[in-house]
Amino acid sequence: MRVFVKFMFFLCLATLFVSGCGNSPAPSSPENAQTSSSSTTTSKPVVALVMKSLANEFFQTMENGARAHQRAHADEYELIAVGTKDELDVNKQVQLVEQMIAQKANAIVIAPADSKTLVGVCKRAQDAGIVVVNIDNRFDSDALAERQLKIPFVGPDNRKGARLAGEYLAKHLHPGDPVAIIEGVPTTFNAQQRKLGFEDAMQAAGMQIVSSQTANWEMDRASQVVAALITEKPEIKAFLCANDSMALGAVSALRAANRLQDVYVVGFDNISAVQDLLKKGEILATVDQHADQLAVYGIEYALEMIKSGATPEDRETPVDLITAETLGTP
Amino acid sequence: MVENALRNNPQKDHGIRFRFQAFLDSVGLVVVLVLLILFFGVKTDHFLTAATFRTIANQVPDAIVIAVGMTLVLIIGGIDLSVGSVLALSGAILGVGLTRLGWSLPVAMGVSLLVGVMCGAVNGAVVIFWNLPSFIVTLGMLEAARGGAYLIARSQTQYIGAVLDRLAVPVMFGLSVSFLFSLLIAAGAQFFLSYTAHGRHLYALGANEESARLSGIPTRRLKFAVFTFAGFLSALAALMYCARLSAANPNDAQGYELQAIAAVVIGGTSLMGGRGSVVNSVLGVLIIKVLENGLYQIGAQLPTQRLVTGAVIVAAVIIDVYRRKWERVSQK
Repeated sequence: MRVFVKFMFFLCLATLFVSGCGNSPAPSSPENAQTSSSSTTTSKPVVALVMKSLANEFFQTMENGARAHQRAHADEYELIAVGTKDELDVNKQVQLVEQMIAQKANAIVIAPADSKTLVGVCKRAQDAGIVVVNIDNRFDSDALAERQLKIPFVGPDNRKGARLAGEYLAKHLHPGDPVAIIEGVPTTFNAQQRKLGFEDAMQAAGMQIVSSQTANWEMDRASQVVAALITEKPEIKAFLCANDSMALGAVSALRAANRLQDVYVVGFDNISAVQDLLKKGEILATVDQHADQLAVYGIEYALEMIKSGATPEDRETPVDLITAETLGTP
Repeated sequence: MVENALRNNPQKDHGIRFRFQAFLDSVGLVVVLVLLILFFGVKTDHFLTAATFRTIANQVPDAIVIAVGMTLVLIIGGIDLSVGSVLALSGAILGVGLTRLGWSLPVAMGVSLLVGVMCGAVNGAVVIFWNLPSFIVTLGMLEAARGGAYLIARSQTQYIGAVLDRLAVPVMFGLSVSFLFSLLIAAGAQFFLSYTAHGRHLYALGANEESARLSGIPTRRLKFAVFTFAGFLSALAALMYCARLSAANPNDAQGYELQAIAAVVIGGTSLMGGRGSVVNSVLGVLIIKVLENGLYQIGAQLPTQRLVTGAVIVAAVIIDVYRRKWERVSQK
């Protein structure tokens, strides 16, 4: 027993040591980003990219894309990339914007964690003479109007993307077929837009939406919801999932229920984990909104605005349907 | 000596009366479970079908295994908030090992389990060496292991495919290896608690650590072993989880610790330590899962579900208060 205890303790120390080593060179942590930028004294404009949930693959991809772009245009601007711990940490994101104001960034490119709460602090940023560009999650138009604020939105039309996936799915169904929607977190703009897009396509094609439930963007919850729905309503022919994680959960539930052959699943985001499933046909389609370019579009736009001084209009970025065919499988 | 320690806490007697009490609790929980099943059977078209029960059997193994670990930790008067994060970390290592690193399945499973054991061991070691409350220590592990999971998985979902299907595919009566294994673990843990000296020592330790120590019970070693075992079970749950979903996602299993605590508390285990039963925890898990599935089938939206689940947890604790009062009266 004592030897065992000693052995375990040694193992613990070893783990701590190893994990400690692994941590130190992490380049993407907000702290590192801040220290590297605060020391800059050049005249290049400083663009602050404020994201939410660096834990999310989507924002990780976004950040990597932005960093690659900055490296390629290192003489044009400095980049500070920061993000919150999880997607709903609104308070922390407000603090991050305040920090960026204090650091006198020239532009803030923000993916707001909440489409209303962040409006106030962005107004303070604009008042301080900072260019603000909105990406990913669009600010609420009423909240902007209330403060007489104009912040350009640069990003994809999620509703259009979802409609593309829905229309592609409709080609594989017959009018009147029952389908179900698995929603994201219902309070978020993207979740609402994607749901609307799915509904547009299904109604246009005459499908019958028999259920629409949220699985909070989560894989496990989607698996549970789909398992329950397919039991209660075995006639459902397709699940339209508002992101790919939930599509993965749907596929696992359908596999367990032995219904994978006759029920279609579509997703959204085109994450790497669904590539094989798309090729095998277990997920029929997904939508790529080019996460790696989203922040870049916003940054380029902000640089234009710094040069021109004008407040330009919103700009739409591309969304593309991804299927087995577009991936080039025979 | 040990018996002395036990006698110091007449309310937490571990003799025949205690076991009888636990048995009565089990009967009560089974009644609740049956009522729930009947309720949803009436309310929906397809709840009372084999498919529903296959679905539940497919979904519970990881929850059961986690609840077993949580029961043991609560019995010794501790708490383990890190189970969900450790699950995610072990899952991330399994996923990355199988995909990006190209490990063979046994190696990936072995490393993944070892990491779970190590997390548990760190929890246990810190708790006993510095005599810290496990709430804080495991809260630290909750953060650290989640961070580790993101780093290892590079925040990406790993699709592992069919390699682990053997665990999740039904082998008999629609039941999977995972499910049978989770029952085996629960039975083993219950046997350990009820019929071995060390098992009984856990109750003594939870009821009154000081008197247990004075009675010659190796309290520190037992604590360390329980936290380490809980870590192991989290990693085991990760295998079952990943087998079920064919994928590992570093965002997975957030809030699992609270779900496990809820199930265990519904099963009548005391948060104060010294009292609890693994069998009843398993029934607690089943109650929560039946409730979840039934509400999904009714078509209740997430807010309603959370309201109902929350109410059930509080109701269970209130009932528990009356149960203990009644226990005290019946002992006089």
